[in-house]
Amino acid sequence: MDCEKFDRIVLDLLYDELDELTTAAAKRHMEHCARCRAIGSGLRATREVGALPLVEPPEGMELRILQAEEQAAQLLPIGKRLGRGLSLLAGYAMRPQVSMAAVLMLVIGSSLFFLRAQPGDREHVLVTERGVPESDNESVTVLPKKADAPEPARASRPVPSPRAEEVAPRRDRAPEAKLEAAPAAAPNEYAPAPRAEAPRGGAALGIAADDKELEGNSEPSTDSDASYDAAMAAYRDGRYSEAQRRFDEIASLGGPHAANAALYGAQALRRVSGCPTAAPRFEEVHSRYPGSVGSDAAWQAADCYRSLGDLPRARQTYEQLTSDPSYKTRAKEAIAELDQRVADQELAARRAAAAATAPAAPAAAAKGKPAAASAPAKPAASSK
Amino acid sequence: MAAVQDDATDEMLMVRYQRGERKAFVELVRRHNRPIYNFVLRQLRVPSVAEDVTQDVFMRLVQNAAEFKHEARFSTWLYAIARNLCIDQLRKLSHRRHPSLDQPSAEHSDGPLLGETVADPNPQASAERSALSTEVRSSIVKAVDSLPDDQREVFLLREVANLPFRDIAEITGAGENTVKSRMRYALDRLKEALSDFEEYARALR
Repeated sequence: MDCEKFDRIVLDLLYDELDELTTAAAKRHMEHCARCRAIGSGLRATREVGALPLVEPPEGMELRILQAEEQAAQLLPIGKRLGRGLSLLAGYAMRPQVSMAAVLMLVIGSSLFFLRAQPGDREHVLVTERGVPESDNESVTVLPKKADAPEPARASRPVPSPRAEEVAPRRDRAPEAKLEAAPAAAPNEYAPAPRAEAPRGGAALGIAADDKELEGNSEPSTDSDASYDAAMAAYRDGRYSEAQRRFDEIASLGGPHAANAALYGAQALRRVSGCPTAAPRFEEVHSRYPGSVGSDAAWQAADCYRSLGDLPRARQTYEQLTSDPSYKTRAKEAIAELDQRVADQELAARRAAAAATAPAAPAAAAKGKPAAASAPAKPAASSK
Repeated sequence: MAAVQDDATDEMLMVRYQRGERKAFVELVRRHNRPIYNFVLRQLRVPSVAEDVTQDVFMRLVQNAAEFKHEARFSTWLYAIARNLCIDQLRKLSHRRHPSLDQPSAEHSDGPLLGETVADPNPQASAERSALSTEVRSSIVKAVDSLPDDQREVFLLREVANLPFRDIAEITGAGENTVKSRMRYALDRLKEALSDFEEYARALR
């Protein structure tokens, strides 16, 4: 740096407006140049010693300025006031805290769409299980005693006929019918015939009976056929008591003839004791043996109820049979007949009531005629 | 409304005031009313007029606050307003004779002289300045007052307003080198005025 350049920057040096490099160069030049050193020190001393004293403003000037500002702000045009308000709001809106709060609220709000009710907020949960439960018999028949036994699990079921395996249609059966037939046993219509719950007969419980049944199923027994034939012979000969006893025994033991034996046993009972006793037996057979035998038993039960005059129950049983293709048409015809019969009875009852209340024949009404007319019609069919 | 922070720059305060935050204006007045008043007073030399002009400066700030674009420093913008008002006021005063520092002040004909008023406003205000004698201060004031208008203007903007030479050049409309030359002349005149005092002369050696 030379003296000429120092003269150009000396004021910047005095008021610290130079960068560090130039300042250092100027100071190095002043160390070697007495003229420039004298100029620099003289200006610095003048500035430091001869600093202009500042005068304090008059007292109250600041307050007057603020008051004037307040008045001027009130006189501002409405446009400028609105502009200030908008600017103030925009200033707050553009603050980082406001932006972060907005983002946070957005995150929380969007997460509400993904929230779902937590499980367990209800005290009771109703679970409906669908399917065929395994029976104890099946667990026993897992290990067949004979190697050549085909499908022991299926063989263990005392299926009276091929139609007994039509399980799916039976699922539509009304549960109250089963409860009426065997309320204590509460049989599962899909399960094999529960011999342990047989209401009568000398049925043995437990593994012994199962073993016996297995032997009978895996190897068709000639003894059971003979017993069944003997029972059928007794039934055909009109020896219904004997036939009932034989059929009940066969049914209680199980086997391939158990279903038919139960049905014939119920029919023999009807011959012996009549419908009041046989109707529950038919219902029991119906609920225990699904398939054609069960449908036959249901038809017989409905016939018994109709003969007993229990038309609602008869109609209910017929309605159950409408789901069986082989009985569908007949059951509907029977239902129509029952409905007609009920309508006739109601019409007769209304006519009798009208005759009893007619003023022209008070004497006849008083002699007891209306009692017979208003009574429900007795079932025409015999119970035997 | 948020409290005004002391370390907030003038420009930040101006932004807040543009949004309607009145506390920011209070802080701006607190920071700048004294140097503005001194700048105006040295230019116009009449305290009462200087007070009115100082108030007008801040009113111009209020009226034109929305026009401040933050492209320049706030102090540069504020002193440009003050300078323009001083020029207007000097034009009005040009019709009459400038008041002498030896004449009594305008309001009180029997009061202290103007030179005494501006030279010793508060003897206990600063320890550094209290070391100077009243005579030295009076000499400084007389030296500044005797400067040509352009040199005095640059001297005041540099020493009182503490503006850099570049901003002074922007306010005055002169080149930066011209501003520095005027400042150099002003300092030389001040040095000559103070050279009569032996104590000051020792400080200069």
